[in-house]
Amino acid sequence: MQRQTATTDAGLLALAAEGDARAIRTLYDRFSPRVFAVVRRIAGDDELAQDYAQEAWIRAIRALPTFRGDARFSTWLHRIAVNSALQALRRAETRRKREAPLPDDVPTSAPGGDVFLQRKLSRALDRLPEGMRRVLILHDVEGYTHEEIGDVLGITSGTSKSQLSKARAKMRQLLGALDQGDTEAWQVKDQGVESWSI
Amino acid sequence: MEHLTAETLARLVDDAPSAEERAHLDGCATCSEELRAYEEQTRALGSLPELLPPQGDWNVLEARLRSEGLLRDPGLFARFGLTRTPAWMRMAASVLLFGVGMMSGAAWASGAPEAGGPLGAASVTDLDGAASAVRMAEQRYVDAMSRYRELLARNGEGAETVDPISRYAALEHLVLVSQAAVRQAPGDQFLNGFLASALAERDAAARLVSSGRDSWF
Repeated sequence: MQRQTATTDAGLLALAAEGDARAIRTLYDRFSPRVFAVVRRIAGDDELAQDYAQEAWIRAIRALPTFRGDARFSTWLHRIAVNSALQALRRAETRRKREAPLPDDVPTSAPGGDVFLQRKLSRALDRLPEGMRRVLILHDVEGYTHEEIGDVLGITSGTSKSQLSKARAKMRQLLGALDQGDTEAWQVKDQGVESWSI
Repeated sequence: MEHLTAETLARLVDDAPSAEERAHLDGCATCSEELRAYEEQTRALGSLPELLPPQGDWNVLEARLRSEGLLRDPGLFARFGLTRTPAWMRMAASVLLFGVGMMSGAAWASGAPEAGGPLGAASVTDLDGAASAVRMAEQRYVDAMSRYRELLARNGEGAETVDPISRYAALEHLVLVSQAAVRQAPGDQFLNGFLASALAERDAAARLVSSGRDSWF
């Protein structure tokens, strides 16, 4: 069964690489939740995330003819999404408006688990300083190694490691503040305290 | 007693503690509890769910892909290289396609597809269910074509020329059986789309035959 799925995927990718609308739609339906999730968490903003995800898909479809299957398609696409979001974020950094209110509801495709905790984590992630958030998302959420993070972000693995510890500590602080209704702690990011950018 | 710093505890989620840190953790309930909280936080982050893109996202993307020339909807047969494959293989593909279409149409018409059947477990009881059923039918269509495409590749096909009259005859046959299927399920979008594609291909083949411009003879 696994072999058949892999075979089918190869044919699907071949069709998509030629621009076949149905094949591309099939890929979109299958992978868009994962693409949107990683891009949304990196962007920290719904509207930006939609733009970044679209850009990632455009890049991926454009590059599909060069996909040789050395990595799994999902891995390849995921890396494109991460790079696309990071690049877009860098371009937008100077003009990005962080004052926009956080969305009341972020739709999830898998509402199982502790939804309240997931919501808290998402809100805290959005409040992390930019650089910390990127490292934390790539490592703890997406499972990248420090070497891979270094490669993607252009930093050393040591820097990634130290920033991860800081990010986890900041997350813990933000989550604790959220539990206690401490709104002051939520201003940390906006005040630029401990800001760090890559 | 001086507690471990927050960053140290955060690091110890991944790294083994030094002897000194181990000794402290063994004797300090506060730091041990805090380390467990960090571990739980990290586990929770790793379990965050995927997120659905906003509604209408595909429509925006589709428009962009089309504007950049990255998306196309070629004719049914041209899409799968059937104009360059032997007649027997085209016929096989026709049977395959028609089989998929008929199964989908039958399940659609019944309104109660069996689990694992052509339309899976979807039930067509409302508009959303109908849309879902169409999507599933399309998915199966794409899967079938993907497998057919690979069959061609494994047999080294793809550049062989074909007799346009045989091709026209095969398409004519496909049009006839598609029309019969649509008569039985006139509201089936999949079958109607299939018929429309087959008609377009057949007419194109007819034009090619009548023009006498082809070099297959």
